[in-house]
Amino acid sequence: MSHPSDRDDQLYHLLAAVGLQDRRAFRTLYDATAAKLFGFALRVLHKEELAEEAVQDAFVAIWHAAGSYQPHLAAPLTWMATIVRNKALDVRRRAQAAGAGDADAVHVDADAADLVADTDAGPDERAALSRDARALADCMDTLAGRQRQAIGMAYLHDLSHTDIAGRLGLPLGTVKTWIRRGLDRLRDCLTRKEDAP
Amino acid sequence: MNIRNKPALREKLAAEYALGTLRGGARRRFETWLRTDAPLRAVVASWQGRLGALAELGRPVTPPARVWEGIERRVNGTAGAAAPAAAPRTPWWRFWQSSAARPWGVLALAASAAAVVLAVRVADLSGTAEVAGPQQIAALTDVQSRTALVVMADTARGRLDVRVAQDVRVPSDRTLQLWAITRAGKPRSLGILPDNRSTDFALDARASGPDVALLAISLEPRGGSPDPNGPTGPVLYKGSWARL
Repeated sequence: MSHPSDRDDQLYHLLAAVGLQDRRAFRTLYDATAAKLFGFALRVLHKEELAEEAVQDAFVAIWHAAGSYQPHLAAPLTWMATIVRNKALDVRRRAQAAGAGDADAVHVDADAADLVADTDAGPDERAALSRDARALADCMDTLAGRQRQAIGMAYLHDLSHTDIAGRLGLPLGTVKTWIRRGLDRLRDCLTRKEDAP
Repeated sequence: MNIRNKPALREKLAAEYALGTLRGGARRRFETWLRTDAPLRAVVASWQGRLGALAELGRPVTPPARVWEGIERRVNGTAGAAAPAAAPRTPWWRFWQSSAARPWGVLALAASAAAVVLAVRVADLSGTAEVAGPQQIAALTDVQSRTALVVMADTARGRLDVRVAQDVRVPSDRTLQLWAITRAGKPRSLGILPDNRSTDFALDARASGPDVALLAISLEPRGGSPDPNGPTGPVLYKGSWARL
């Protein structure tokens, strides 16, 4: 976005080539991003076969939509991750509809929703992240653990305020306030980082 | 309710929309605003960008080979049927970001030739350019290489003339906006076309300097792109300068 890294730059070029229906570039793009995106789909869905389906749906969509990717709106991996999330949530809704009554078809793990804690990000791991993700990890660090969990549960599992309150055993008002303050804080923190040289 | 003048509320709703916690009627109402409110779409997009980076924080897991095989099968299955009908969309930003392979150089030449012919006609008609005339000219074409606009830079008069072809139709709630794209890939707004018809702007190096790789027209909400750094709407026409 405002500070594209070398890796972002490489992904821009690949996406641009994919927009021109370049199949080799598509394979290279897949190799460069599939592990991150599959790992992400697994966090959302917890089941290998469902995550595989979501990643396939997402890459087929990326093949068709690459030509309309707008670089000034999102970094390439962020754009792709948004597509993976939408497809994963679709897959989850389908799985839930198919296995009606099987409440465990997709389970939600509050601890696993705390992505920052899980990354256990030492300096080496953080260095491998894109600039956007590094900034986000740093800013997530400034939130309380439960606040991170609540935001992670909403984003990864598409849970409502009420669902999150139920799973964390907290009053609804508390969860709403935490999430709102958490988002405000993230925005302020990320904006400060963007403005910094 | 009108939320156009309530920045804090817009920000809060956009964040909750991107996170997914805006639900039910509130979500539907927000989506109807989104349809007509491009600045609000931009706020949502920036939240989606912030949260999308969450995807990277988890541990990477290599998917089994059958995942790629499935993708390849599905992409191959559709490509033959869909591609010719849909006329592959060429991403306009490809042009200045790729330094390799420029098959479009040929296209640009052809377009410039067409532009020169047009320019001569325009000059004849306007009768203002007996002696000097424009020094630079660009034909902006659509994806099928049909010329939609001609842009002329006349340094003697200090004007940038934009002529829109008669058959270019724009919905009344939309505005055509002219951009110069630099070689570094930065879009510079040169201005919006009043009533979406021919117009002229004061000429300066932002439009015609040697660092300009491409001119482009995007379709924006009325009043122009809400994002000062680049177009928010689709890019309809593009072309590069030819020096006369």
